[in-house]
Amino acid sequence: MSVRLRTGNALAVQATDLTLAYQQRPVLWDVDLEVPQGVLMAIVGPNGAGKTTLLRTVLGLLRPAAGEVRVFGRPYAEQRQLVAYVPQRGSVDWDFPTTALDIVTMGTYSGLGWVKRPGASERSRATAALTQVGMQAYANRQISQLSGGQQQRVFLARALVQDAQVYLMDEPFQGVDATTERAIVNLLRALRADGKTVVAVHHDLQTVAEYFDQVTLLNVRRIAAGPVDKVFTDENLRLTYGGRVAGIGGRTNGSGHEPSL
Amino acid sequence: MDVLSDLFLDYTLRTVALGSAALGVVSGALGAFAVLRRQALLGDAMSHAALPGVALAFLITGSRAPLILMIGAAVTGWLAAVAIVSIVRASRIKADTAMALMLSVCFGAGLVVLTFIQRQPAAGKAGLDRFLFGQAAAMLESDVITMAAVGALGLLGVLVLWKEFKLLSFDPDFAASLGIPTRRLDVLLTSLLVIAIVVGLKTVGVVLMSAMVVAPGAAARQWTDRLGTMVTLSALFGAGAGVLGALLSTTAETSTGPTIVLVATGMVAVSLLFAPARGLVWARLRAWRSQRMLALEAVLADLAALAAQHGSDATHPHDVGALHAVRGRVVMQRALAELAAEGLAQRHDGGGWSLTAQGLAEASRLARTRRASGDAP
Repeated sequence: MSVRLRTGNALAVQATDLTLAYQQRPVLWDVDLEVPQGVLMAIVGPNGAGKTTLLRTVLGLLRPAAGEVRVFGRPYAEQRQLVAYVPQRGSVDWDFPTTALDIVTMGTYSGLGWVKRPGASERSRATAALTQVGMQAYANRQISQLSGGQQQRVFLARALVQDAQVYLMDEPFQGVDATTERAIVNLLRALRADGKTVVAVHHDLQTVAEYFDQVTLLNVRRIAAGPVDKVFTDENLRLTYGGRVAGIGGRTNGSGHEPSL
Repeated sequence: MDVLSDLFLDYTLRTVALGSAALGVVSGALGAFAVLRRQALLGDAMSHAALPGVALAFLITGSRAPLILMIGAAVTGWLAAVAIVSIVRASRIKADTAMALMLSVCFGAGLVVLTFIQRQPAAGKAGLDRFLFGQAAAMLESDVITMAAVGALGLLGVLVLWKEFKLLSFDPDFAASLGIPTRRLDVLLTSLLVIAIVVGLKTVGVVLMSAMVVAPGAAARQWTDRLGTMVTLSALFGAGAGVLGALLSTTAETSTGPTIVLVATGMVAVSLLFAPARGLVWARLRAWRSQRMLALEAVLADLAALAAQHGSDATHPHDVGALHAVRGRVVMQRALAELAAEGLAQRHDGGGWSLTAQGLAEASRLARTRRASGDAP
């Protein structure tokens, strides 16, 4: 009920005029991000286009020089509880001395408040989330003993435990095996069926049309955004990648990965 | 002399042991976090930066009370950490350069102030130079009480904010996305590390204190894959190294800091080599065993191939001289001997070798499992 009230009919995520620079070099220039409720949106663009930066700015991890972020019509800071974040797998040290279950339990920390330790109910929620990504058998495994795909699924389970409305994912498909890729796709669809919204930085142009409903094409500026069938065109991809991309628009020929520029 | 009975009867030894145990527990527990957060060098810079703090605190107050000197040390150590972070954030200078810079600048400044103090005629100046390499024997009851009280404060901080510090150490970005004030927590955890450092300064000395922060954590990481166990073990290792090193240095009259550090380093060496899952010795042993198993299987496959060429009589003896060239004579001889011992191969009178019936069965079983698991034969 309270969630219903707080979500309303507004856009799930609306970032306006985001501008951010590292030492005079603009990384994001006047970028808008508009994510309707209940869609799967891909953020696509070449290396250095600012995809991760955009995600981190939306999350408030980076402070933009200009622009603001609203979640369901209200400032991000008020709506933080509705947003879950899946960082890039490579952003942490997987040799950290802990278990998969413990990592997933970290998703319950925001509900716990300060000082209080997670108890049986938090652990059972974490176990349920691990089961949802097919990792229940690995709950007590030291995290460095997991494969890349398994580590990614642990991160996804940690976000699931947050029971958010919006999921922001940084390259969830990066370097995962085929099993994990299928598991993630199914998970994204299950989230959408639940009315949740997902925004994911995505690298593989081949699968954009198959996995996502909406796409934002980014290269420092926003090149185009909207439903995949309208926006994900050869023309827009050329504008995004600087005219050097071959075999695009979801129709394949050969190299599906991001062209090196 | 019986050190053990002296430990309980001798006032000096008991004071030394209690104080070193306290400093070891605190630096071990907080050092474990420093190791996980890759702050080992920061700890080194902060402990060197504590020297000018000690000297200035004495210069300003004229007091040698442990708490006053500790506060002076903590202030400059903490300021050095802030300066390092600010330099990295505001300029293009990288973290390692900033840390090396602060370390040497602060240490130099500390030495200058120390020499200045030494030339003053004032009484009670003596003893400050002990802060360089530490002297356990000079520990007084008032030192131990202060160390225990200040150290307890540091430990309490870790216990209360355990889950926050764990999350901060593993994934600060995710912590920030939950709305946890990571910047402030980072400052707090680093401040607790400063506490751990100043607690040990008088016993271990500024030059080597960082080893007491890093060594127990590095050793403990080898033995466990749980953060709670690691921090506990690290505290125990710290206490062990502290007590053992301090007692050794007091009885053998060597410098305390270096002695404690040598003991701690010994613990690291043993842990690196012999810890059950991560120990290098076991890893080498496992590699060697699996290499020998592979060699054995390869020779088995070679002999099976020879037998197959020979058609009907599978146990016909073969000259294995040709195989020596491929596998190496020593490897071949050892593999053949082991196969024979297991009844898989047999040596014939003419010096030739063949598989036994059992060996043939084993070879074809291995070939099947190889194919099933998709390995190249």
